[in-house]
Amino acid sequence: MSPVPAAELAAHPFLRGMPDGQVAQLAEVATATYVPVGHRFFEEGGHARRFWLIRDGHVALDLSVPGQPSLIVETLGAGDMMGVSWLSPPHEWQYGAEALEDTRTFELDGAAVIARCDADPALGYQFFVRLMTVATRRLHSSRIRMLDLYAAPGQTGGR
Amino acid sequence: MTSGYAVPAGYAGRAGYAGRAGYAVPAGYVVESSRAETRDTVTLVLRPGRQPIAAHRPGQFTMLYAFGIGEVPISISGIAGGPELVQTIRAVGAVTRALCAAEPEQHVGVRGPFGTDWGVGVTAGSAGVEPPGTALSDPAGKDLLIVAGGIGLAPLRPALLTALAARERYGRITVLVGSRSPAEIAFTAELDSWREAGADVRVTVDRAEAGWRGNVGVVTQLIGKVDIDPAATVAFICGPEVMMRLTARALSALGIAETDIRVSLERNMRCGIAECGHCQLGTVLLCRDGPVLDYARARPLLAIREL
Repeated sequence: MSPVPAAELAAHPFLRGMPDGQVAQLAEVATATYVPVGHRFFEEGGHARRFWLIRDGHVALDLSVPGQPSLIVETLGAGDMMGVSWLSPPHEWQYGAEALEDTRTFELDGAAVIARCDADPALGYQFFVRLMTVATRRLHSSRIRMLDLYAAPGQTGGR
Repeated sequence: MTSGYAVPAGYAGRAGYAGRAGYAVPAGYVVESSRAETRDTVTLVLRPGRQPIAAHRPGQFTMLYAFGIGEVPISISGIAGGPELVQTIRAVGAVTRALCAAEPEQHVGVRGPFGTDWGVGVTAGSAGVEPPGTALSDPAGKDLLIVAGGIGLAPLRPALLTALAARERYGRITVLVGSRSPAEIAFTAELDSWREAGADVRVTVDRAEAGWRGNVGVVTQLIGKVDIDPAATVAFICGPEVMMRLTARALSALGIAETDIRVSLERNMRCGIAECGHCQLGTVLLCRDGPVLDYARARPLLAIREL
């Protein structure tokens, strides 16, 4: 882990367009991390305190299934934000997360980010608009997957 | 056997097309081989009995006839160049089930090729039969972004193979494939060969299975993971209509011109020669004016709820 220059943090797509002063506040509570393939970021049910901005690599969010290998529910990669369970009670990870490739991230302390957002509502607004955008996009993707678009059409005709 | 279809002027006036077998009357073909792509999808290699149908272009389709059962529109999934015809079929009904079950040396009927094509490899003044409808230009010098959903990879395959065979003619070639599950990815045996030939091929599934270590998520999520130069990219999209609409919308938002986004639409193609009207979508008869349209033309059509 190493401290993060604000300019590097600002280049991450999640923070693109955020005013420099606000990025600098987040950089104070961010660290640069590198993890090898197979690294477990967190486990389902664990205490959620952090989130990650993925710079490159590939991470799987998974659910354990008794007697079977865990099931991947979604994968994330470069430019993605990972982890929202730190934000609200019960502060427990809903999934596990594993690096499918060597992965570089910016790791941020959730409580410290919230404290800065409380102290600077402008930062809070900018941060939560981005968080909401991520959540909306994931919700949209989940809904599309629920449609099961690639299933065979339920045709009963001659085709 | 006669079909009762008249040859429309738009086709009859084209040299080499009028009067050929396989246009209004099915040409006899024999199943050369059959390969299971997934549990419900089969690729047939067909060889002509006596007279082959006219040469085809990437993106066109034929009407395949399972004798005694019925006729269905099926995308051509192979490239032209030999007498064989390669078609990939998903078993979704009586006719397609019969075609998927066809065994070597079994006879089938073929009419076509019909419709517009992706434009890949088509040059002005090229030999062969010019299909009526909007002719899409060859995106020579451009980056090609191919986005496939499910069995939609089948009609895109000939465009990809044509581009890979003339690799220096195009810029970057990126293939994004979305599938329901790992077991339902078509042409899995070929993905590595496409990569070796110079394509950036990425696959994602909606539902992972145990052991899957690849991407999980909708295919539009892959768009954000690849380097796209909007001004230099021509996109080809084929899959379920909702998937095409969302993908085209995402690419348009990136800045790719709607005229540089090509989609393959499907309706109830029957005659193949723009006579019966079953495939009408707004003012378009998709068997003639489609299946491949640019998004500028397709976008309003994709918003039509019901006709």
